[in-house]
Amino acid sequence: MKQSVLSQFDMPWIPITGLLLFVFCFVAYTYWTFRKSNKAHYQEASMIPLEDERRKI
Amino acid sequence: MSSDASTMPSSNRRLETFSYDDQIVRWFVIATLVWGAVAMLLGVTIAFQLADWRVNFGVPWLTFGRLRPLHTNGAIFGFCGNAIFAGIYFSHQRLLKTRLFNDLLSKIHFWGWQFIIVSAALTLPFGITSGKEYAELEWPIDILITLIWVVFAVNFFGTIIRRRERHIYVAIWFYIATIITVAVLHIVNSMEVPVTFFKSYSMYAGVQDALVQWWYGHNAVAFFLTTPFLGLMYYFVPKAANRPVYSYRLSIIHFWSLVFIYIWAGPHHLLYTTLPEWAQTLGMVFSISLWMPSWGGMINGLMTLRGVWHKVRTEPGLRFMATSLTFYGMATFEGPLLSIKSVNAIAHFTDWIPGHVHSGTIGWNYMLIAGILFYMVPKLWNTELYSKKLANIQFWLATIGLVFYVVSMWVAGVTQSLMWRAMDSTGRLTYPNFIETVVKIVPMYWVRAIGGTLVLISFLIMIYNLYKTAKKGKAQDGEVFEAYALDESSVEHKATPHRKLEGWPMIFAVLSLIAILVGSAIEILPSLLSDKYIVKNIAVKPYTPLELIGRDVYIREGCYLCHSQTIRPMAHEVLRYGKASDAAEFVYDRPFQWGSKRTGPDLARVGGKYPDMWHYRHFYDPREVTAGSIMPRYTWLFDNKIDYLTLPKKMQVMQQLGVPYKNEEIENGVASAKAQALVIATGLAESGIPAQIVDKEVVALISYMQRLGIDFTKAEVVP
Repeated sequence: MKQSVLSQFDMPWIPITGLLLFVFCFVAYTYWTFRKSNKAHYQEASMIPLEDERRKI
Repeated sequence: MSSDASTMPSSNRRLETFSYDDQIVRWFVIATLVWGAVAMLLGVTIAFQLADWRVNFGVPWLTFGRLRPLHTNGAIFGFCGNAIFAGIYFSHQRLLKTRLFNDLLSKIHFWGWQFIIVSAALTLPFGITSGKEYAELEWPIDILITLIWVVFAVNFFGTIIRRRERHIYVAIWFYIATIITVAVLHIVNSMEVPVTFFKSYSMYAGVQDALVQWWYGHNAVAFFLTTPFLGLMYYFVPKAANRPVYSYRLSIIHFWSLVFIYIWAGPHHLLYTTLPEWAQTLGMVFSISLWMPSWGGMINGLMTLRGVWHKVRTEPGLRFMATSLTFYGMATFEGPLLSIKSVNAIAHFTDWIPGHVHSGTIGWNYMLIAGILFYMVPKLWNTELYSKKLANIQFWLATIGLVFYVVSMWVAGVTQSLMWRAMDSTGRLTYPNFIETVVKIVPMYWVRAIGGTLVLISFLIMIYNLYKTAKKGKAQDGEVFEAYALDESSVEHKATPHRKLEGWPMIFAVLSLIAILVGSAIEILPSLLSDKYIVKNIAVKPYTPLELIGRDVYIREGCYLCHSQTIRPMAHEVLRYGKASDAAEFVYDRPFQWGSKRTGPDLARVGGKYPDMWHYRHFYDPREVTAGSIMPRYTWLFDNKIDYLTLPKKMQVMQQLGVPYKNEEIENGVASAKAQALVIATGLAESGIPAQIVDKEVVALISYMQRLGIDFTKAEVVP
């Protein structure tokens, strides 16, 4: 009984809202990230771990 | 003690000097090695116990059901936890060009965390457990974990505030997501009402408890064993390879997609259960979507090694890292595959799942930790690695051991699952006795135990190698570095929104929180609120006082680690165990005990299937009634007296939580429990069992076993 109630406890708008939210965000951050003008900046950022700290004697 | 004081004028920017706190990293490294060895030794022990039931030596606290939670907690929180802290504290300071926020907080973090793990070791083997997988620790330890996690978070974000690098490198995003999500998961899943200092009941019951638990359980894998390690990967792989990450932009896409999608995947642990269908489908779809970000991350890590592949052959650190990424790729391929409903129908409850888990934990976590340690330890002790040869031996032992483990579990899992579902032409089960399917796979348990032993030996070799390395080197602190202070010059005014975000760690943290909360809210809230839509099955009654005590014995002994309590709606399961489970049956189960593995048969409808005497003999020595059984003997249940003392409090807490116990039922609880025990003992006495058994725990446990599934069966008869 309860199982059948639960299985009809159907709210398709919930997962669809989630999907739309994700697609919207995905498109937004992909667009910003892959803009040509950002290339140099991200290349620089990727070097952060390799910058050997300047040592003071 | 920060040494940020001195300043030096250089153009318009202020040059500051500082030093790193590497001592705390060394401590965490040592703790990683200690707990790693303990966790793996426990793993090997319980692996041999499955191959031969006598390996508990008849000692309660060495028995599988009590040691398995300690193995998982030790491996996840002891081994991986300390490794994460070591790696994060090492890289965080260097990526931000500053010392950790506060040395005292670092020390509290370290000792607090070790105290938590020692507490786990002192409670779990003695049956002090909340009975929820990977969250077994009882409420006082849960509170302690929360406090220490806050200390870690303050120390971590404080360091970010004091940084000298505007851009927050991608590794740190993964750390931020880890800190925030683990806090949310831990707090929500640990909601429980204390009964005594060592006992509590979950705030959620049945289906809801299951949903919250596996939302937690899966995301513990996601945000404790994956995201922090991906962060470490983004720092240590470029460091060890001495090249920048293959694509920084891919890492941004990787981060947001992974964080957003991972949180939804939990329900794939509950396919074909009484969880609402739409939640199951949602969990499956998002699990399959996870393929993309997981492989994006793996490819990004592996491609970072382009041009240095020759070094993978000669440098142990790089070799372990490359292997770990390969296993990460395999495990994250297998995971989505297992979450497809039709594949899950075969794999769930079988040994395929522990096989999958260990290709992740040994292949990805252990291998990556080894790679990081081989990079970090020589740096921390200012020396070279003691022996590359030993590292190579370690590598092959670990890899071969892991292959033994995974392959034997695939074979065992698929074999057993096919035997479970085999039916002859008349529609009857080909192997109606569960034990036939167990005996068949015991040889595979031996192979697994041997594989695990090889992994343990490899780990001990690493400890020796790193110990020798540290010994020949020297820990030096106080080396002074200099960097420009963070000032206006690094602020970009025309940056695109995401680039600005990369310099705003706090807003970034809030957005990560929103990303994980969206999935959590959509998936969990409707089910938590669905109570009012549910028509309760009036035939399902609360447990009697004695059954409640028996249930707590069941939880204490960790029975749920080998026996499930949920029947899936499949022909062979219904034939073997009885009618498929219904959500209404579990409304009084705090915590739920559906389990995730059937080393033994399902128990959801075991009530009334056998006489009391059968259970009595079975608990005393399972082989008396089931030839070939691999279940250990539970002889101590025949000596331990039933704990009536805490019963009224237990019932009161249950009443608070909404179980319809009447006040007079609680007042008469002990008397009614004793009366029920007497009935069982009188029945047993007819078979010649001495009357003294009446106040022993086995009687309470029998009462619980005989209750399982009974109400629902009655409901079928009475219209």
